[in-house]
Amino acid sequence: MYSYIIRRLLLTIPVLIGVSILVFSIIRFIPGDPARAIAGVHASPEYIEQVRRDLLLDQALHIQYFVYMRNLLRGDLGRSTFTRRPVTTELRERFPNTVQLAVAAMVIATLVGVGAGIISATKRYSLFDNVSMIGALIGVAAPVFWLGAMFQIFFSVRLGWLPSGGMGTWAHLILPALTLGLATAALIARITRSSMLEVLSQEYITTARSKGLNERVVIYKHALKNALIPVVTVMGLQFGTLLGGAVLTETVFSWPGIGRLMVDSILTRDYPLVQGAVLLIAVSFVLINLVVDVIYAFLDPRINYGTQEVD
Amino acid sequence: MSGMRIKMIVIAMILVLASLLFAQGAFAVSQDMVIAIGAEPENLDPLKMMSAPAATIAEHMVETLIYLDVDGTLQPALAVSWEPAEDDMSWLINLREGVRFHDGTPFNAEAVKYNLDRFMGVEDPAKAAIFSFLLGEVSSVEVVDEYTIQVHLKKPFAPIASHLSHSFIGMHSPASLEALPEGEFAQAPVGTGPFKFVSWDRGEQITMRRNEDYWDGAPKLDTVTFKFVPEAGSRVIMLETGEVHAIMAVPPTDIVRLDEDPDIDIVRQTSVRLIYIGFNLEREIFQDVRVRRAINHAVNKDVLIEAIFQGVGEPSSAPIVPVIFGYHTVGPYEYDPEKARALLAEAGYPDGFEIELFHPTGRYPQDATVTEAVQAMLQEVGITARLTTYDWGTYLATVIVPPEQAEHDMYMLGWGTVTLDADYGLYALFHSSQWPPRNNVSYYANAEVDALLDEARITPDRGVREQLYAQAIELIWNDAPWLFLYNEGQVNAVRSNVKGLIHHPLENILAWDAWIE
Repeated sequence: MYSYIIRRLLLTIPVLIGVSILVFSIIRFIPGDPARAIAGVHASPEYIEQVRRDLLLDQALHIQYFVYMRNLLRGDLGRSTFTRRPVTTELRERFPNTVQLAVAAMVIATLVGVGAGIISATKRYSLFDNVSMIGALIGVAAPVFWLGAMFQIFFSVRLGWLPSGGMGTWAHLILPALTLGLATAALIARITRSSMLEVLSQEYITTARSKGLNERVVIYKHALKNALIPVVTVMGLQFGTLLGGAVLTETVFSWPGIGRLMVDSILTRDYPLVQGAVLLIAVSFVLINLVVDVIYAFLDPRINYGTQEVD
Repeated sequence: MSGMRIKMIVIAMILVLASLLFAQGAFAVSQDMVIAIGAEPENLDPLKMMSAPAATIAEHMVETLIYLDVDGTLQPALAVSWEPAEDDMSWLINLREGVRFHDGTPFNAEAVKYNLDRFMGVEDPAKAAIFSFLLGEVSSVEVVDEYTIQVHLKKPFAPIASHLSHSFIGMHSPASLEALPEGEFAQAPVGTGPFKFVSWDRGEQITMRRNEDYWDGAPKLDTVTFKFVPEAGSRVIMLETGEVHAIMAVPPTDIVRLDEDPDIDIVRQTSVRLIYIGFNLEREIFQDVRVRRAINHAVNKDVLIEAIFQGVGEPSSAPIVPVIFGYHTVGPYEYDPEKARALLAEAGYPDGFEIELFHPTGRYPQDATVTEAVQAMLQEVGITARLTTYDWGTYLATVIVPPEQAEHDMYMLGWGTVTLDADYGLYALFHSSQWPPRNNVSYYANAEVDALLDEARITPDRGVREQLYAQAIELIWNDAPWLFLYNEGQVNAVRSNVKGLIHHPLENILAWDAWIE
């Protein structure tokens, strides 16, 4: 299994290089003149020229990529054209906020999603099952910004219980985490339910039951571990998405995370910052996928990665 | 001891504590004002400032020499008087005495020279401010004595006082700027203003505290906090819940609802921005002035303002908005589709024609909606406009091009005359020397207009300048190089217990003299 993990780690390197090329190209190949856009309507031609030089846009593409990669390896993502601060500083300030929100949302999503999924699966076609699956359907379908706005109107404007936006106290975290968490919980609940149902219909569960094992032990010890494998996949992907900055939620709740930073920097045509944010998001995605794959290996020893033949 | 007794003691203690807390004032309302704005400033250094949010926030901490008042007049600020020399080649500026920067260093002529030189990039032109063109006509700044400076010009340039009032030319403490590491920009400004910088939580808010030693008397508020709330709907909700005291840029759809809330006041203010659709005058169709006038008569601006902006804004009656010095009413072009059709027929287009109309989406309020409405109105007189839109960056790069590269027949843009002086609005957009890459995107050229605008630049007498601009505006209006649309309005909203806020046409909101009742 360890050789699998090492192999998986090494595989990550070409993926990351691919990501860097992609991020580099996206900015270069969109139409229009970034220098003109950054400088704005009132700018003088001299200033536009200066911006073009600053961004190396007057250089050949391969030179731009070479400089970009060289700086990247030194941990230098350039400076934001808008704030003039190093992109790495901007990202370092915002990323922890997104992680905080993503973790809180993930906790809510896991507790609600896995919990509801298990109960639904074990009490199939019960009232709880029907209600929670309809809820999950709505949760998957409802746009996140709409849900967020509803929460704001209900909990902030009507009841006055929670702040409607901003960051600071734990109370500020509740609404955005709930908004994000419930949307993800809906998805997790549906997958947990179907995965659980599939596992529960398998022979070894019937065997366990026929041995006279307590139903709780059957469900939580024997079934759950196997049923969780697809759930972990989805959770990993979801967590990656959340870390990628829950763009809409962060904007609705004025949460100063990476998603909003990206929206703001797109609006101000801050190309170095957009590039840095996309890169950070892509890298978190790749790394989380790596972690998910490793967790797989622990969850299910039966999964054969073809390493034994090589060994 | 009985429970009743304990309860009494506790209540007594709470009362004593409460009376202690409230002893300072009869109404101990906390004087901490929170204002929500849509965007975060880039930074607060004059060299790299370029947005209205940056200007709004900077103006609380950093002052300019001259203050541009809400009514467009120039008022003393850090300068007490300014006047041109006899040959108009320099301006003598007398400074306020006894003013100190927040770091305790004195404000004087040396400090002004330092700031202006830095802004113009005297030592290294590559390090000049983005808006250094504001001082483009200045050749040098001379310290005459401790509280007098002389600004020398390359040639007479009357709008210089307006330009010096621009909020980006604020006076920072030279000592604090000197202390910045190489290549860094001021994130925490040290000025002379009524509030001192406290903190900047990135992505969240900027907080400042009352300057007790402010030369014009300390403000009433203890602190002012600007919160960055990008989503307009969220700003409205925060105002309704009382989390903030004032918001800027209320979406048109929320105006009516907020108007009905007894705890909230809607503030309608004019803006300095005018929205127009320019003609590509190099196109054969638009070389006939009758066609350009026909289009101006074909569009009902009142309907645009009523239907799309809930009545906020007004039809343009000149190529600049009324609050600007040099404004002169000539319009608006009456809505008269019959006349439009007649003019088109006269010009040889009885059956109309087809054109390409370019417009941005999301740069100006409701820009795409307005263009679609214009498209429908043009159709009424037989003109088919095909719409093309791009993201802002691509749009600018497509539209602001030399004539031979132009793909558009008509294009929508806006222009804010941020110095409130007609020169900034007319020269940049209508002088024949300003074709792209500068901003005369219509490729307008009229020798008479050129001469008037040149003359107004070098004439120090404000009365004479007004006459020159009036003539230029009449010529431009009759030439109709644009479809003149509307003067943008701005809508702010405040809690009704908030008093004394200044809502500036420059899209600033100023809490200098404000308080909470």
